[in-house]
Formats: sequence, structure tokens, C-alpha cells
Amino acid sequence: MSRPSAGPFIMARPWLKKWVQPLSNWYNNAAGYRQLGLKVDDLIPEENDVVQLALKRLPPKEAYDRVWRLRRALQCSVAHQLLPKEEWTKPEEDERYLSPIIQEIESELKEREDLEAMVLSKRKQNAKEAGAGH
Amino acid sequence: MFPRSTACRGAQRALSARAVHPSQRRGLAAPASGSFQYQSGEAKGLKFASRDLAGQTTTLALVAKAGTRYQPLPGLTEGLEKFAFTNTERRSTLRIVRESELLGAELNAYHTRENLVLEAKFLRDDLPYFVELFGEVASSTRYLPHVYNEEVLPLIHLAHKKFLASVTDIAVNSVHSLAFHRGLGVPTASSSTTPYTKYLHPETIDWYSKIAFAKSNFAVVANGADHGDLSKWVGQFFDDVRATPTEATSEGTEQSKYYGGEERIAHNGGNAYIIGFPGSSSFTGNFYKPEIAVLSALLGGTSSIKWSPGFSILGNAKASPGTQVKTTSAIYSDAGLLYTTITGQAKNVALTAKAAVEAIQKIAAGQISKEDIQKAKAAAKFKELEHGQDVKAGLELTGAGLVHGSKAYQIDEVAKAVDGVTEQGLKAAAKSLLESKASVSAVGDLFVLPYAEEIGLKV
Repeated sequence: MSRPSAGPFIMARPWLKKWVQPLSNWYNNAAGYRQLGLKVDDLIPEENDVVQLALKRLPPKEAYDRVWRLRRALQCSVAHQLLPKEEWTKPEEDERYLSPIIQEIESELKEREDLEAMVLSKRKQNAKEAGAGH
Repeated sequence: MFPRSTACRGAQRALSARAVHPSQRRGLAAPASGSFQYQSGEAKGLKFASRDLAGQTTTLALVAKAGTRYQPLPGLTEGLEKFAFTNTERRSTLRIVRESELLGAELNAYHTRENLVLEAKFLRDDLPYFVELFGEVASSTRYLPHVYNEEVLPLIHLAHKKFLASVTDIAVNSVHSLAFHRGLGVPTASSSTTPYTKYLHPETIDWYSKIAFAKSNFAVVANGADHGDLSKWVGQFFDDVRATPTEATSEGTEQSKYYGGEERIAHNGGNAYIIGFPGSSSFTGNFYKPEIAVLSALLGGTSSIKWSPGFSILGNAKASPGTQVKTTSAIYSDAGLLYTTITGQAKNVALTAKAAVEAIQKIAAGQISKEDIQKAKAAAKFKELEHGQDVKAGLELTGAGLVHGSKAYQIDEVAKAVDGVTEQGLKAAAKSLLESKASVSAVGDLFVLPYAEEIGLKV
């Protein structure tokens, strides 16, 4: 699932972004996933239908790379080691490859819900005609 | 039972009325109202046509010159067809479906050898909504990889399976490929999985959509819509559609050439035997021969009357009542194929195939009674006019006529041409069939089904 995020709010305000950016960089590095060669979207829990569907929709190359990163990270974790520094995920590589797909699926589901809950009303013109008939 | 005298008197009266006032009878070819006629127009480079049939419903079609004949890579037409009415930039598939359902409409997409047709049937008031929808489908459908994988590909695969299971489909496509090789000969469904596993990708379909849905390559046709309204909405909602194709493809545009030949395919799902000859192009094309339509009715095979095998030669000559025979005059923009399809038990199919060739020889020799020719002409004319009244066929023919030759398909003139067929012309047409190379396709039990040479055909 996509997480609630203050990101868009902050990105829309350059002055705020200037303040928060260093903090964000520090946090992302301290979180430790980059040292295992993972990207931030690899951390999204995948045990639900939405993310499963999103994973299916990944382009083949992305899906392959994701599995490779996860296995490498698992191996590191088992061996209680970090990757050599040159293999850490660089901040510019750490893009969100899965979140946009998840958001798309969620908006599809939301649209479906909305349409299910739709209330029908007659068009004004038709309603008038029907009224005149009675 | 009514007394015989009454029935006879009625019949006599009908006959005498006909004999006395032949000139007062209004021919079918000249209907009193002009409702058969399509009005055509052009709005910002896009051709459209409409006829205002009285009634509460409208059928709107977008006819694109993107049938299997014109596809630059195998499977593209099918891909485009299955992608119709899915996600666009502005609306999701679900929204299109729900909105159309709320308006009580039917959406449909299909393709033929030459055309890709998107069709919507709806209540007359909803015309603007559907013209807008068509504009969106043509200009801004999103050819997403996951939609392709989740929805389009399974459908194409099913079409392939269905194709393989039907001997008639295999035979029809085989006879077309024998007759025209490439272009018109390209099968309408994938005959193997190669086309869609090797050539088809969402990006390729996207690329092709920019060619197929360019203003110069499609036309909008409406049945039961006011011409003024249609022209207004078409002018308004097709602004986003590109005016010319992104790339000029020459695939299928050259004049179709007839080759002929024989193909035999083993199949255990039944027997189909097709004998094909060069036929007539559509009326809007350059090779229109009304004799072929009459010849097709004369050979016939299926009865249009209950409890009778019908007057057609093959209807009477077929080996058993269980054998199905059908003669079709398939017309395309610049060529045609006259073919007789025979299905049933292998032994009967073989006998009927022989009878079919003999029938054509008989026509060529002039051994057909005048009455039969009269009946065939009437049947051909009726079929033509009925075909024209049938909304679906009329829409495609009209749209194709507009795209190919900027001429709408005018049924009345076609019927007139059929009226003008003479016995001599018919004889000459049959003779020319026998002189040209035939296209013969046998699918099924090859041990029993004959070779073309055995039934007296030249291939």
C-alpha cells in the first residue's frame, strides 16, 4: 500500500523543501536499506492484493532487478554484512518505481467504489418531460 | 384449409394484376423515400455520412481502413480492435462501460479483411456523448502494457483457439490466402501463435493506432441521426485526432492480384471444402461485376424458403440434406472472391464439390432455364437491398466507400446494376470463371476430399 506522505505538501513549497531536504537525506541514509542495495519501494509490504497486482504490472526488467536486489539484501542480512560502499544504492538511483503503479491501482479501485455508490438522477430535460406527462 | 377456388382466385388475381400494369409497379430499386441514401460530408478533414431513419435509436460507427489487409505487422488489427473502448487519457475502461450502460447503449468492435469497425448503438438523444467517446478512443486511447497482458492478449489467444477449432474458418482464410497471397489473403484471426508472441507489443499497437486513426484513414457513419447534428458534433469532438498518419505504410495498398491454387489441411474437427474464383469488387471499387452476384445466387446452396431445398442449383444438387452448401460473393474494395463452401460428411462433401463444378459448367454452356435466371436475379437483388437495409453491413460498406473512394455506398444503384444482368453476361461470367485458375481449399479428412484436378478444375 502507498503510505500517507507529507511529500507533495513539502515539495510544493520551495522554502519548506530547502529546510526539510537535508533532514530527509539524513533519514534515508540512516534507514539502512541503501547500504543493502535496496530501493525505497522495495520496502513496501507486498502481502496484499493491490501490491501483488502492481508487482505483476512491473515491466519484466524492473521485476527481475527487484528480485535480484531483494535476494542480495537477504544474503547480506544472513551474513550480517553490509555491501561494499561502491555497491550501495546511490540517492539518485533510489527512485520510486512501484508507487506510481500502486497509486494507479488504488485510484482504479476507488473509482469502482465511487461508481458502485453512485446515485442516479434524471436529466433535467427528461424529468420535465416525464412531469408534463402526468 | 381454405377452399381451393379461393386460393386459386387470389393467385390468378395477383398474376393478372402484374400482367396488366407492369409499368405501374414500383421497382424495389427505386424506393419512394430517399431513406436508403446516405448523405455524406466532411468536417475539418474528416469524412462522415449519415442517413436519418425514423426511429428512436442511432447506430454510430467508426470505420477505419485498418483491416487485416492493411496491417504492417501480423496481429495489429486484432490488437487495435481489442483495445477499443479501454482506458483513454480522460476516462477509464470502467467509466466508459458504466456510462454506456447507464445510457442503455451497446458498444462493439470488430474487424473484417479491410476495415476495423467500432460501433455503438444508443438512444437518439445521446449522439453527442458517443461522438465524443469515439473521438477519444481514436485520439487518446492508452495502450498500456498491463491492459495488453491482462485483457487484450487472452482475447487474441481465444480468437486463435476458436479459429483453429472451426474448419470453415480455416478453409475460408486458406482460400483467401490462395487467391490473393498477401494483402486480402492475410487471415483475419491468428492462425498460429507467432503473430502475437513475436510481433505484437503494446508499443507497436500504439504506433499503429496513430496510422489507423488518422483523419484520412477513417470515416464516421451514422444511421438514424440528423445530418446537421452529426456534422456539428463531428466537427467539435475530433479535434485531437491527427490529420495525417505518422508514417505512410504501403502495406496492402497495391492493387490486389488474383493468383489461385490449392491447399489441403488435415483436420479432425469436420470437413470443409471451398472452391473459389475471382469475383467482383464492391460497387464503389473499379471492378464491379453485377453478374457475379447473380451467379452466386444461382449457384446458391442455402434455401431462403422453408420446407424446400430452394431453386438454387447447388441446393438441389447437393449429395445429402445434411450437407451444407453456401455460395458467397465476397466483395472488397478492389477485388472480390466468389466461393462455394461445402461442409458436412467427407463423402457427401466430395460428391457435392463435383456437382458444384458441373453446375458452373452447365451455366457456362447456357443450359439453365430462363426462369432460374430470373429467380436468381430477384434473389440477388433482394439480398443486396436487404443487406443495405441491414444497418451493420450498410455502415461498414458506406464507411469503407468513403475512406477508399470518397463515395458512399448507394444501394439503389447496386440494385439497378443487378437488374441489368443479361443471360449472355451470366454465361460469359461463368465461362471466365472456368478459364481462370480456381482457388481450392480442403480442410478435414484428406483421404476422401478430392483434389481440384479430380473434380475438373484448373489450379
